[in-house]
Amino acid sequence: MGTCYLAWATDEKIRRRAANGGFVTAALVAALENGLLDAVVVVKKEDVYEGIPTVTSAPEVVVESAGSLHAVPVNLTKFVVEFYKDEKNKGKKIGLPVKPCDARGIIEQAKRQQLDINDIYLVGLNCGGTLHPLNLREAAAEVYGIDPDAVVKEEIKAGKLFLTLQSGEERECKIEELEKKGYGRRDSCKMCITKIPTMADLACGNWGVLKGEEATFVEVLTGKGEALLKNALENGYIKVKEASEKSLEVRERIKNAMVKLAEEWWEKLDAVKELTRDERLKFYVETLRLCINCGACRTVCPVCACDDAAKCVSMHDERDDYVISMYNVIRLLHLMDSCIGCGQCEDVCPVDIPLTFIHRRFAERMQRKLNYMPGMNVSEKPPFYEAELQWHDIL
Amino acid sequence: MAVVDEQMNEKKEWEPKVLAFCCNWCSYAGADAAGLERRQTPPTIRVIRVMCSGRIDPAFVLMGFLEGADAVLITGCHIGDCHYVDANYKTRNRFEFLKEFVDELGLEPERLRLEWISASEGAIFADMVKEVTENVKKVGPSPFRKSWKK
Repeated sequence: MGTCYLAWATDEKIRRRAANGGFVTAALVAALENGLLDAVVVVKKEDVYEGIPTVTSAPEVVVESAGSLHAVPVNLTKFVVEFYKDEKNKGKKIGLPVKPCDARGIIEQAKRQQLDINDIYLVGLNCGGTLHPLNLREAAAEVYGIDPDAVVKEEIKAGKLFLTLQSGEERECKIEELEKKGYGRRDSCKMCITKIPTMADLACGNWGVLKGEEATFVEVLTGKGEALLKNALENGYIKVKEASEKSLEVRERIKNAMVKLAEEWWEKLDAVKELTRDERLKFYVETLRLCINCGACRTVCPVCACDDAAKCVSMHDERDDYVISMYNVIRLLHLMDSCIGCGQCEDVCPVDIPLTFIHRRFAERMQRKLNYMPGMNVSEKPPFYEAELQWHDIL
Repeated sequence: MAVVDEQMNEKKEWEPKVLAFCCNWCSYAGADAAGLERRQTPPTIRVIRVMCSGRIDPAFVLMGFLEGADAVLITGCHIGDCHYVDANYKTRNRFEFLKEFVDELGLEPERLRLEWISASEGAIFADMVKEVTENVKKVGPSPFRKSWKK
């Protein structure tokens, strides 16, 4: 565990705009203005339901994008990979605020030589989960009884989802209630156990910030993270104080509660748990049969790094007419060691195959067996590719 | 005629189709040795020769299952004996994945087997094919063979 601080922005404007203390925004702005970073990737808010990832070197844009967008479940990994594909961007230092799944995706891409992890400053954000925009629209209409288009702001605080209307009126509902009715967080988020991004350079969030304090809880995890914090501190963008024992305790407690809840959700969402072997096969065949071979899941997948000559594509032929297509079979197999459970595939699937669940079923057992978690450490190579040489078997 | 009828009826019993990937340097020669030694091998086996067990992409095995194979065998040189130094370590590693995959998908574990067989082990090859054929007969035809309704 790294050193923990409570930090807040000195700039009043940033503090007001951002959630709890504005450390993330201030640190990124400081890094941009002092030349530590060449660019920052932020999600620009269009409305409550839509945000667009943008690369910017303008501090104003970073400040503008402050605050969280829970209903924009975008994964920035492929965006960053595309950014580095451009020859003129090679070697540029970029920083970005990341959810745990973004960070894990970026680390997986670094393992596959798609980018250099030393160029990327990952400012991790604690994540309790994201919402699907369509699902939130429905929830706004059905549960809150308001016009989805009239919502101008959403916020999650203390287990409640607040929606603010154009008139300034605020409606609230417990997330637990929402989830009972089939709304709330995405399935992948419900069962995700990586709530604190310990694989990023900094882990920031409001867990561990005590009542009455307006600050961000920051855990410094790597040298890059320390550089970001130091730069912001020395140039007067932020103020810090050491986190108290109590803060650490509170943060740990919230994390443990979230992880426990996630494990319960996994039990609940496990659709094939009680089925026999034959029924399980039937379930997989019948759900994957719906596939129309659009390839969207592969395009968004943050751990896929093959180009158009990928095995899942080149070995697939629709004329084969297999009960499960080679595309799906190979993808399931190849992701057994690297699926991070981000849920992007399910979000984009045009025929709503519960892909995250299916991938998790295959990946969970393999990753447990190998005692390997993808996306946590750049130096751990994917076990599927890295045949372990056990020379002591021979010698 | 009675004899012919009997033979015809016998033939009607379901025979599994076993797909075997054999390494050119050991188990393919091992299968050959089994023949030379006049050992009875069930006619269920279909051999595909590969230059090394490390050449067997897990996708080939899965394709075999999807094409209707009742069992798939992967055979290669003993660990440390690989003609290409260390390629059978890769086979072993991939097999771990395949085993979990096939089990999760809902196929019986008996349908997939990895065995190290050298060029002189004809007897072991023949015994293994016999054993696999018996095991597969117990679990029945591959579920991928039956007609799935669209």
